[in-house]
Amino acid sequence: MSRIWISYEWKFISMLPFFPEYWMVQAFDHFGSFVVYIAYRATYQHTYHHPPAFKSIRFSGSHGHSSLPEWITIRIAHNVVNDTEAIVWVCEELEKILFFFPADLPFPAQLSVIGLSEGLITFTRIFSPEAACEVIEAELHSHVFFEAEPDIWMVMVVAKSKETEAIWRIEALRSVLKEIHSLFIMFHGSIRVLLDKEPGGGLTRSHLFTFIMDYLNDFLVGNKFVLPNFRDSLKQRGTVQMLTVGREAAIEVQSLVGALDSCMGNTSSYSLILFQDLLVSTTLTPDDTTNLFSYATSRLTPRVLSSGGSSTWSYLRKGNAEVASRSANIGSGLDGFRIVRPLQHGKWSKGKDGFLVTDIWGVEVGNLVPTTPTLWLQQTEHKMYLCAYQHKSLTIILLIPVTSMLNGEEGISMLKQQLVENVSGKIVKVEEKLAKGWGGENAYHVKGYRYLLVDGDRNISRASPPGKVTTLTKESLLAINKVREDVDLEKSRGNGNHNDEKDLEICMRAKNNAWVIARSTRGKELYIVLEKANETLLYASEAIEKFSDRYCNGAFSLD
Amino acid sequence: MSRNTSSSGGSGALSHAYIHYPPLRCKNNGSTGLFYDDGNKLLISPTSNQVVSWKTSPYTPQVASTTDTITEGPVLSIRYSLDLKLIAVQRSNNEVQFWVKETGDTFSQKSKSESDTILGFFWTDCAVCDIVFVKTSGLDLYSYVPELKSLELIDSKKVNVSWYIYTHESRLVLLASGMQCKSFMGYQLSSAGIIRLPRFEMAMAKSDVNSKPVLSAEDVHIVTVYGRIYCLQVDRVAMLLHSYRFYRDAVIQQGSLPVYSTKIAVSVVDNVLLIHQVDAKVIILYDIFADSRTPVSAPLPLLIRGLPRGNISSSQSANDTSVNLYSDDWNFLVPDLVCDVSTGFLWKIHLDLEAISASSSEVPLVLEFLQRRKLEAKKAKDLCLELLRSIMIERRPLPVIFRAVNVLVTSFAYSLKTGSYSKSTPVNSSSSSGVPENSSGNKPGETSGGGFSTSDSEDNINLKKENGENLMVSEDQQESQSQVVTSATIPPDELYTFVFASVEEEMSAFADASYLFSILLEFIRSANLEKIKVHPNIYVLAVRLLGRNERYAELGQFVLNKIIEPSKEVAVELLEGVGSHNIQTRKLGVDMLRQLSLHHDYVVLLVQDGCYLEALRYARKHKVSTVRPSLFLEAAYASNDPQHLAAVLRFFGEFIPGFGTTSEHTTYIRALADMPSSITV
Repeated sequence: MSRIWISYEWKFISMLPFFPEYWMVQAFDHFGSFVVYIAYRATYQHTYHHPPAFKSIRFSGSHGHSSLPEWITIRIAHNVVNDTEAIVWVCEELEKILFFFPADLPFPAQLSVIGLSEGLITFTRIFSPEAACEVIEAELHSHVFFEAEPDIWMVMVVAKSKETEAIWRIEALRSVLKEIHSLFIMFHGSIRVLLDKEPGGGLTRSHLFTFIMDYLNDFLVGNKFVLPNFRDSLKQRGTVQMLTVGREAAIEVQSLVGALDSCMGNTSSYSLILFQDLLVSTTLTPDDTTNLFSYATSRLTPRVLSSGGSSTWSYLRKGNAEVASRSANIGSGLDGFRIVRPLQHGKWSKGKDGFLVTDIWGVEVGNLVPTTPTLWLQQTEHKMYLCAYQHKSLTIILLIPVTSMLNGEEGISMLKQQLVENVSGKIVKVEEKLAKGWGGENAYHVKGYRYLLVDGDRNISRASPPGKVTTLTKESLLAINKVREDVDLEKSRGNGNHNDEKDLEICMRAKNNAWVIARSTRGKELYIVLEKANETLLYASEAIEKFSDRYCNGAFSLD
Repeated sequence: MSRNTSSSGGSGALSHAYIHYPPLRCKNNGSTGLFYDDGNKLLISPTSNQVVSWKTSPYTPQVASTTDTITEGPVLSIRYSLDLKLIAVQRSNNEVQFWVKETGDTFSQKSKSESDTILGFFWTDCAVCDIVFVKTSGLDLYSYVPELKSLELIDSKKVNVSWYIYTHESRLVLLASGMQCKSFMGYQLSSAGIIRLPRFEMAMAKSDVNSKPVLSAEDVHIVTVYGRIYCLQVDRVAMLLHSYRFYRDAVIQQGSLPVYSTKIAVSVVDNVLLIHQVDAKVIILYDIFADSRTPVSAPLPLLIRGLPRGNISSSQSANDTSVNLYSDDWNFLVPDLVCDVSTGFLWKIHLDLEAISASSSEVPLVLEFLQRRKLEAKKAKDLCLELLRSIMIERRPLPVIFRAVNVLVTSFAYSLKTGSYSKSTPVNSSSSSGVPENSSGNKPGETSGGGFSTSDSEDNINLKKENGENLMVSEDQQESQSQVVTSATIPPDELYTFVFASVEEEMSAFADASYLFSILLEFIRSANLEKIKVHPNIYVLAVRLLGRNERYAELGQFVLNKIIEPSKEVAVELLEGVGSHNIQTRKLGVDMLRQLSLHHDYVVLLVQDGCYLEALRYARKHKVSTVRPSLFLEAAYASNDPQHLAAVLRFFGEFIPGFGTTSEHTTYIRALADMPSSITV
């Protein structure tokens, strides 16, 4: 039996043995909310060299179980796993590791991490079958859980450290997991389907391995992974950044969209238009838009192409070699099978005709013409061809159903030709118009404010330009990180229930006298940091009001 | 207009122009000939001692003749003065005799020498003179001095003249001279002054080296379309119709049209040029607005409408009703009349807009053509609406529809700019009497524009802008219309009612919605370019169409980008139409109400959504006093929460003075007391 840590303000109710390894403690917190307090005994087979101390696990929701508490907090403190920066894995059912990073961790150590996670998932499911464990906060690590697909879990373990930059916001980490998964299914389809096709899982493992390694590559700085930490508090992964355009330009853009539509001549074709790294228009569903947007901004936009995939750093090449050899080992029967690596860096380039080309999807035998990329739509699960056209700052992505192209590649090249013939004039016009109205990198900077605006309904966010955010002090950033964490917590209480969107306002004076403010109303969130601000709350509140009226159509103005 | 299609040929053949039976009968016994006084639009039939005249404008077959008495004598030509107070009759090659109608006085004006033949004369509203004699030696400009009952010579223009042509419509006289009569001088005698055109030569092909064809007066036509003056000249050798356009300081050849007949007649109906190929008995239509030399339609015959059926056979005999199309006795009068001198029938030529629009598949071009029509504006407008509607229902390719929409929008915008579009304004009450009260003889300020305009007709204004150097004319003689619709242009709300809304009713399929939406978007785009305000109903329809296809995310983009402009109608559609299926869309509607500062509606909506406390705060902030307290009280009461009810009651106690004494207050105070108190401490 390890030590139990109970917050002093909680009313202790009862304590009973639960599993051989567990104790369950029931308690009320000082708000009168029901809390289950779990003790975890360190006798579990695969676990740790030291008995873990419990700190905190939380998992949300208890749909359909009215007798159960709304909110369960499990606090666990333990000291596990060496100082690995990050571990990401996907596990499926019991004992089946699909991906583990770092791969060179001894197998028993891998199993012990997995064992803990599995145990927690199994256990928390008892209370909340539909939404099990979200996070374990241990003393030195955070374990972030994400159930990507039914019974397929992704867990990330990050080390904590007060001295370094390792201060995380759990939702930010979870959004990384979410992004990996949604990008993966966009290109490879769902993991479940892959596993069903090939129960051995070798192919799935190789896909996941190459894919996640390519993805993680984006977080490599030197030889360290830098995950989104408190310095990224004024950013929202998994959202789209829009270009603000005037009505006239917007109409021209939509007219272009119409022209693209009629060019593709198929009602289930879609288009996405970006200017620089900002979305201008989309006909896709919000989810698909988000995925494609994050792919485009990381692999296709002019900025990325001009940098020439600079982040192909030597360690990665080494890593890739490892990957290749390893995946070859795993998939013994996979000889000759080509693993498509859509996230591979530096593989896209602009062709003479303005279309972007890549050999990621292979090259047609004989004529060396690259195969047109394909991807899956999330909702409809249609397989689509991806064609990207670029003119100066404008990137146009077209998705055409594979089933509608009876003659495959030939049809695509005909379509491309048609597009150049019929629409390129319009594209040039729109690009000029947008370029004229474009205010540059700092276009959305608002003097005196550092802000993040999230429209959850539309998956859109806008924030102060990164260059401006870096001027904030560490204290301010830590404070906004904290506030965001609180809002995340509050939000997950009313999980998934749109009618229950609570209006929320947090106004905080940080140690460095900065105002840190969060407002949430009707699915929209606004976070603001005001440094060098007047000390009165009235001042802060007026500053928000002004911002809301000027930039958010008054959405955050208090009535 | 009745669509009695029986024609003279009995074939019922398709045609684009028609004349309508019965004609205006200009026959009186003892007539010595028929004369057309185009200054006054009178058809004049003199007898030995009388002048019988018929008004041809406005054209009605039943018009009564008026008779004036003159002394006996030969009549070479006859014209009333523009104020109708004088009658001038050319008696011989060197004498013109005048009657003052009021007093019956007469006087004569003779040319000085026998050899100086008077070729003709015309009255003018030019500022410096009243009547112009065209003589072989040139022009004599006279003004009439009523006190002296005589003419006073103002000016003479010395130039050799073989023959001349003049139309009052253009105020332009062209003087032919030279061996081949192809060298021309021209003067425009408008109220703005006298303008002398540079001398110019007309092109004449030679059949062989030695032959030199002579141009005759009947081969040259002055036409006035869209306020511009052209001259059309038949080159019988080349079988071409050359056109020249007159500018203030230049005459510029504009290209040639082919002809298929040695005899060519020209009419202008509603600014459309009708080239009668007299031998072939067909008409070719040209609309030379945009300097296009392509005919509007294929050559087709002229049709007679309204001919009594029984008379078709009898028309072979020398019956009263006999109609001999393009007989040798047909005289074409400027701009759109035909007079059969043998029967004395006067016909007016009409365009069959329906037939023209039906004969071309190029809908955008047809629409452009129809939009320019003024005479039958109502019909042109209806045709435009019907055409657009039908091509949409036929699901023609989008680019075609887009062009069609653009034509209509551009045309409407243009009419707004020129100020000609105004539903309520009555039509030019242009008098048809021929007295140029409408012309700017009375408006000296008009001349300062720098152009040549003699009237304020819209075409002139537009052309003035387009080319300050244009030689322009007034259209003061244009037929007056009694219709309310003065222009074929279509305002956006009518486009919505008669096209979009009606098409929407017929299109219900999924794909139809996106098709129709694309068209709406193009319409919005086009309207935006022309700075025309779009009717909110069109936005409502756009919202509905997107909603029907469940394109909610795109709908959000359209609303946020304000492509769909905010309005109460749109907000209601977002809230109650599409919003009932999609919560995000509903929120857009709520936001839109707030942005529009529709405080009352916003507050009511908040109450409906159960956010009555929020609604109260909003009401206080924006001083919305129009919402009934009972609405809030009922909502709070229904919530079964005494705290809420108490809060609402207290709010109104403070917000509305004297609320405490109302019956509502007492009712709910009692209700509050009866409420089971759930507050347990």
